[in-house]
Amino acid sequence: MGQLHVNGKTGLPSMGRQAVVSDILTYTVLVILAAIMLLPFFWMVSASLKMDKDVFRFPIEWIPKDPQWVNYSKMWTKIPFLTFTLNTAKLTVIITALQLLTSSFAAYAFAKLHFKGRDVLFLAYVGTIAIPWQVYMVPQFIMMRLLGLSDKHLALILLQTFTAFGVFLMRQFYLTVPNELCDAARIDGLNEYGIYLRIMLPLSKPALATLTIFSFVTVWNDFMGPLIYLNSENKKTIQLGLRMFIQQYSADYALIMAASLVSLIPVVILFLAFQRFFVEGVATSGLKG
Amino acid sequence: MTKEKKKALRSTAVAYSFILPNFIGFAVFTLLPMVFALLLSFANWDGANPITFAGLSNFKRMVHEDTFWISLNNTLWYALGTVPVTIVCSLGLAILLNRKLPGRDIFRTIYFFPYVASLVAVAVVWNMIFHPTMGPVNELLHLLGIANPPRWSADVDWALPTVIMASIWKGVGYYMILYIAALQGIPRYLYEAASIDGANKWQQLRKITIPMLTPTTFFVSIMLTISCFKVFDLIYVMTFGGPGRATNVLVYYIYNSAFKYFEYGYSSAIAMVLFVIVLIITLLQFRMEKKWVSYM
Amino acid sequence: MKKIAMALLIVMLITTSVVFAQGGNEAVQSAPAADAPVNLRFVLWDKASTQYLMPLVDAYKAKHPNVSFEFVDVAANDYGDKLTVMLSGGDTVDVISVKDIPMYSGMLTRNQIVPLNDLITRDKIDLAQYSGATDELTVDGKLYALPFRSDIWILYYNKDIFDKAGIPYPDNDMTWTEYENLARKLTSGTGANKIYGAHHHTWRSTVQLPTVQDGKNTVVSTDYSFMKPIYDMIIRMQNEGTIMDYGSLRAGNIHYKGVFYNGQIAMLPMGSWFIGTIIAGKKAGETKVNWGIAKYPHPEGISAGTTAGTLTSLAINSKSTNKEQAWDFLKFYCGPEGADILAKTGALPAIRNSNILNTFASMEGFPAGGADALQTVTVRLELPMHAKVSAIEQILNEQHELIMTQSVTVDKGLAEATARVKKLLAQ
Repeated sequence: MGQLHVNGKTGLPSMGRQAVVSDILTYTVLVILAAIMLLPFFWMVSASLKMDKDVFRFPIEWIPKDPQWVNYSKMWTKIPFLTFTLNTAKLTVIITALQLLTSSFAAYAFAKLHFKGRDVLFLAYVGTIAIPWQVYMVPQFIMMRLLGLSDKHLALILLQTFTAFGVFLMRQFYLTVPNELCDAARIDGLNEYGIYLRIMLPLSKPALATLTIFSFVTVWNDFMGPLIYLNSENKKTIQLGLRMFIQQYSADYALIMAASLVSLIPVVILFLAFQRFFVEGVATSGLKG
Repeated sequence: MTKEKKKALRSTAVAYSFILPNFIGFAVFTLLPMVFALLLSFANWDGANPITFAGLSNFKRMVHEDTFWISLNNTLWYALGTVPVTIVCSLGLAILLNRKLPGRDIFRTIYFFPYVASLVAVAVVWNMIFHPTMGPVNELLHLLGIANPPRWSADVDWALPTVIMASIWKGVGYYMILYIAALQGIPRYLYEAASIDGANKWQQLRKITIPMLTPTTFFVSIMLTISCFKVFDLIYVMTFGGPGRATNVLVYYIYNSAFKYFEYGYSSAIAMVLFVIVLIITLLQFRMEKKWVSYM
Repeated sequence: MKKIAMALLIVMLITTSVVFAQGGNEAVQSAPAADAPVNLRFVLWDKASTQYLMPLVDAYKAKHPNVSFEFVDVAANDYGDKLTVMLSGGDTVDVISVKDIPMYSGMLTRNQIVPLNDLITRDKIDLAQYSGATDELTVDGKLYALPFRSDIWILYYNKDIFDKAGIPYPDNDMTWTEYENLARKLTSGTGANKIYGAHHHTWRSTVQLPTVQDGKNTVVSTDYSFMKPIYDMIIRMQNEGTIMDYGSLRAGNIHYKGVFYNGQIAMLPMGSWFIGTIIAGKKAGETKVNWGIAKYPHPEGISAGTTAGTLTSLAINSKSTNKEQAWDFLKFYCGPEGADILAKTGALPAIRNSNILNTFASMEGFPAGGADALQTVTVRLELPMHAKVSAIEQILNEQHELIMTQSVTVDKGLAEATARVKKLLAQ
C-alpha cells in the first residue's frame, strides 16, 4: 500500500487526534487484559521460587524474600524430568504430524467432493466429539490391552492421531476456498490428489498452523491418556511427572510450578514460531478481482 | 455399467480414499469403544463381573436421582454462561489484534497463555483472586461499600459463576487464535472497495468482517458448546463438584458413577443422554447454518 | 449403500460384545519351584517418598534372591483411577497396595483380590497381633488383605505458642470441650500475624471422627443427628475465629503442613503420618517449629486413648500368576520383621507392641514425652467396610461442604445427609 498523501506531504492519515486517542485507549485495554492474562504466569514464577510451605501463604508474597533457585535444579533430580520431557516431545511431534496429514486429507473430501452420505457421515463425525472420553475410556483400554498395546507409546499414538476435531477444523477452512479454484484446476487436468497437494494444502497454512498449535498443546498437556496406558517410569510424560509432586499427605507445589514453567517453554516457542503463518496467510482470492 | 455410473463410482471411490486413512483409525480405536460404551447403557457392568442385560432400568433410575437433574441443570447453565461471552470476547480480541500495532505478536502470545498454562496454576490463581476473605476482588468490593460480597467458590450460588468466569478467561485465547486465522482469509479488496464507497470502520465490521467470519463462528459455537457439555478437568481442580453439588456437572456425575461406584452401565446411560442432548443442539446449529453462515 | 452400512453396524455390534464380554478369571497356576526366578509386580503410590518401601523390599530380596520386583508407581491422587482401569483391563499385577476402605470394598465386591483365610490358617498367622485391625477388614468371614500400617489420630501442638501464652502443654487426657476452650485461649492477633488456637483440615474426617469416637455410631448410618454437637462446636469455633474458616481453606488451598510449619496454629488434630513428615522437614531445614504430640481429645465419659485410625494394607490380585510368592512377600511385609523396619522409618505399623512403639519413639527427632500419645485403648476405623461405602462417602463429603461453608444450617445439612443415605441404602 502506498502512503497517503495529504496536502502534498506524506504522513499519518488525516484522522489525526481521533486516531491517537483510539490507539491509546486500545493500548490501555490491551495492557490491562494482558496483565490479567499473565497473572497465573506471575504466580507460577513466584511460587516456583518459594519453599513449599510458603507457596499458599497469605497475603501473597509476589516477590519471594528468599528465592529458592535450587528448585529449578531439584525438579530434574526429584523425578526423571528429562526422560519425561523427551517422551512427551516424541509423542507430541508424531501425533501432531499424523493428525495434520490425516485430518486435512479427509477434510478435503468433506469440503470439496460430493459423494453419497457425505453430510451424514460428517455429522456422525462431529457428533462423536460430544462423547466425553471418561465414558469409553475403560472399554477402549480393554481393547488396547487385548491388542497387546498396554504400556506402549504406540497406544497413545493410535488413540489420538485419528481425530474428528481436526477434520472438522480443516473442513470449515476448506469451505472458504472458492470452488472456482478447484474447478479451474480440474479443467486444467489435475486429479483430486493433485488439487489437494498443489492448491488446498498450500492455501491452508493458517488452518494447518492453528491445528498444529491446538494439537501440540493438547498432546503436550494430556494427562489421562498417559496415566491409563503407561506403567513404566521410563515411558511416562511430563504431566504424569507433575502429579508425582503431589503425594498422599503433602505436596511440593513449588516444584510443580517450576516444572510446569519449564515445560511451557516449548509451547511458547512453537506458538511464536507459528504466529508468522497467521500473518503470511493472506488469502489469495485473486481469481477475478 | 454406463459411463456416468462408472464416473460416479470412481469419484465416490476417490472421495473415500481421502477419508479412509483418518476414518479407519478412528473407527477402530475410537468408534468401536464408543459404540460399546453407549450400548452398555442398556446393561449393568461393574468392570469385573459378567455384563448383564438391564433394558431401560438405568434410564428409569436416572429420572429419579436428584443428582442427575442437578448436574444437568448445572451443565446447561454452564454452557449458557460460557458460550456467548467467550465468542464475543474472542472475536473482539481477534479484531483488536488484527490491526498493525507494535507488540501485537507479544499480545497474542500473552492472551493465548491461560490456555496452555497448567490447570492447577489456573485454578489456584483464580481461587486466590476470588478468595472470600483475602482476595483482591472482595477487597475491592469492600472498598466500593459492599458489606457482604459473595464468597465465590465457597458459596453454593456463586461457585458455578466463578468456574464459568475461569473457563471464559482460560478459553478466550484459544478461540481468539481461530478468529485471527480466519481474519487473514478475508480478502483485502473487500475492505478497500468499502472504504472507497465511504463505509466507516464500524460499518465495515458489521457488513464485511462479521459475515465473512460466520463459518468460523459456526465452528467455534459448536466446539464451544460441545466442550462446555464435556467440562470436567476445570471443575475437578477448582471445586470438586462442590460446595455440595453446586458445580456437579454431567461428566463429573459420569466419572463418579464409573470410577467411584463402578456402575459402568448407569454411567453410560448418563453419557447417552448427554450425547443425545449435544447431538440435538448440534443438529439445530447445522440446520440454521444455511440461514446465517455465508461461504464464498 | 444402506445395506452395507447395516451390515457393518451389525458386525461391529457383534464384535464389540464378543470382545468385551469376557469376564472369568484365569486359571490359578500351581506354586513354582522354590528357587525358580520370580518377578513380582507391585502396584503402589508415592514410591519415591515411601521411606520404608525399599528397606523392606531389599530385606526381603536378601532372604529370597530369586525374587525380583517390578513397581508400577502411581501418583497418590491418581491411584484409585489407575488401579480401577488396570484391574478392569485384566492386568496381572501381583501385589496391590490398598489405600482406603472404598477401594478395598470395591475390589473385593468385584472378586479382584484373593481371600486369604486359608493361607492364614495354613501358615498359622496370628491375627491377634494386629489388635483387631483385621476384624475391620473382614467381610462375611473373609479377609482379603493384611494391614501393614495403621495410622492413628493424635494431637500435635506448637510448644512455643503455649509458652508465650503461659499455658501448660496439652495433657494426654483432654475432652473436646476442654479442647475448644483451650483453643479459644490460645487464639490471638489479627491479620497476617494471627495465631489460631486450632486447625481443622478440610477433610470431612477432621470433624466427623470425634462424632464416632464413642462407638455408638459409625459414619454409615440412617440418622446423622448424632453429629450435631461436634458440628455445632466446629461452626462456633469458625465463627469466633478460633479456627480458619472452611471456605478460606478450600479457596486458598491451605495445607495443614504449611500453617503448622509457619507457627500459625497452636493445636492440630491429625494423623500419625505427620510425625515422619515433621521429623524429615526439620532435618531438611524446612521448619523450626518446636512441636509436641499428645493423645487425641475424646468425648466426655470415654477413656483417653480412644482414637480413630486408617489402615494401609496389601492384597493379592486374583489374576496374579505368582500367588504363592506374593503371599510370602505379604507375610514378610505385614509381619513383625516388616513392622520393625516401618517403625524405624517413622511409619506406625499395624503390629504394635511395646517393642515396636519403643523403636518408633526412639527415632531421631521424635518429640520428648510423645511416646505416651501413641498408647491407644481403642482404635476405630474412620470409614468402616460397607458395600456402598463409596457412595455414602461422596454424600457425606458433599453435605460436609455445605455445612462448613454455612450454605445450610447444621440441622438441615445433617437431615439431608440422613435422607440421602437412607435413599441410597434402600436401593
